[in-house]
Amino acid sequence: MITSPAQLSRSMVAIPAYNEAATIRGVVDRVRADLPDCDVLVVNDGSRDDTAAALAGSGAVVADHLCNLGYGRAIQTAVLYAARGGYDRLITLDADGQHDPAQVRPLLAEFDSGRWDLLIGSRYVASKAYDGVPLGRRAGMQLFSSIVGLVAQHRIYDTTSGLKIIGRQTFDALTNWQFIDFHAEALVYLMRMGFRVGEYPITVAERRHGQSMYSTISHIKYPLKTMLMVVLGMVQAGVMKKRIS
Amino acid sequence: MTAAGIAVSVVIGAVLLLWVVNLIRNDRLYVGYGVIFVLGTLAAIGVLVVPPLLALLTRASNALLAVPALSIVPLALLTFLMVYVFAQITVLSNRVMRLTQELAIRNAHGDGEAEPRA
Repeated sequence: MITSPAQLSRSMVAIPAYNEAATIRGVVDRVRADLPDCDVLVVNDGSRDDTAAALAGSGAVVADHLCNLGYGRAIQTAVLYAARGGYDRLITLDADGQHDPAQVRPLLAEFDSGRWDLLIGSRYVASKAYDGVPLGRRAGMQLFSSIVGLVAQHRIYDTTSGLKIIGRQTFDALTNWQFIDFHAEALVYLMRMGFRVGEYPITVAERRHGQSMYSTISHIKYPLKTMLMVVLGMVQAGVMKKRIS
Repeated sequence: MTAAGIAVSVVIGAVLLLWVVNLIRNDRLYVGYGVIFVLGTLAAIGVLVVPPLLALLTRASNALLAVPALSIVPLALLTFLMVYVFAQITVLSNRVMRLTQELAIRNAHGDGEAEPRA
């Protein structure tokens, strides 16, 4: 269990942000208050609003993408940064303020039990149900949760959670493969590579500002792309494991 | 279409499918483009191997547009060419993406303590 500041200082909190001017400063301030020993990195993913201005003097390091690369690539930038900076853990949080940084500490304690290489802050693992989730989204979540369980022999109930703790041992794997949104396709790839992925219960607040990163058309494209990437991730994980051995 | 024609078309479709999947796996074709080619090719193979579907499509296409059967050849070539063009676009796009990530990391700024050590 993490108790000393020296241990915490090797953790970095990464917050990918795209047009989150209304919330990003508050999120960074809360992270710095609740996790004072963690460094904070905001990956500003080509925002066209005042996200960059809102971060001035926040104490966070800001990595600016010159254009919008998408959530998966923003996470990958954070992983690259953490790998080069010698961090042991990368903690990812959403920029919309849905995650309470205070919930990271118990998550870190569970992560440091040594049982996991990647730990997901999960909204659904406690109830194992998707109560209150709109029907279409619920169907998608159940589908991808089942697919992950089927192909990786370990069911993950919240494949789309933005709160994750990523261990250093996975950094190489994550920077050498492509991900769409760092969801089911990334989890299957890591699990098939032999990494241990787990869930720990958290609660999240409702989004009050901005828009979800999913448009109407992406609700059709996302499952198709993710399913294809899940299959390819399984193939790629097999290839990578052979190369390593 | 004759049985031999169907067999050849299915083989061409399978080759296209394998090529597209391998391009995506090697990060040389964006999965958003790739999924369209994969679904399109699977649908075409599905039509070819289900005789009632093929007959229906043949009747419909003849009614709308009388085209010779050989028109499938330039169509297939065009599809291969499109995959190639999209793969080249993806390669360029990946270079821009890596450049963007590298610039973001190298120019990361702020008043925190988390400057990259490498």
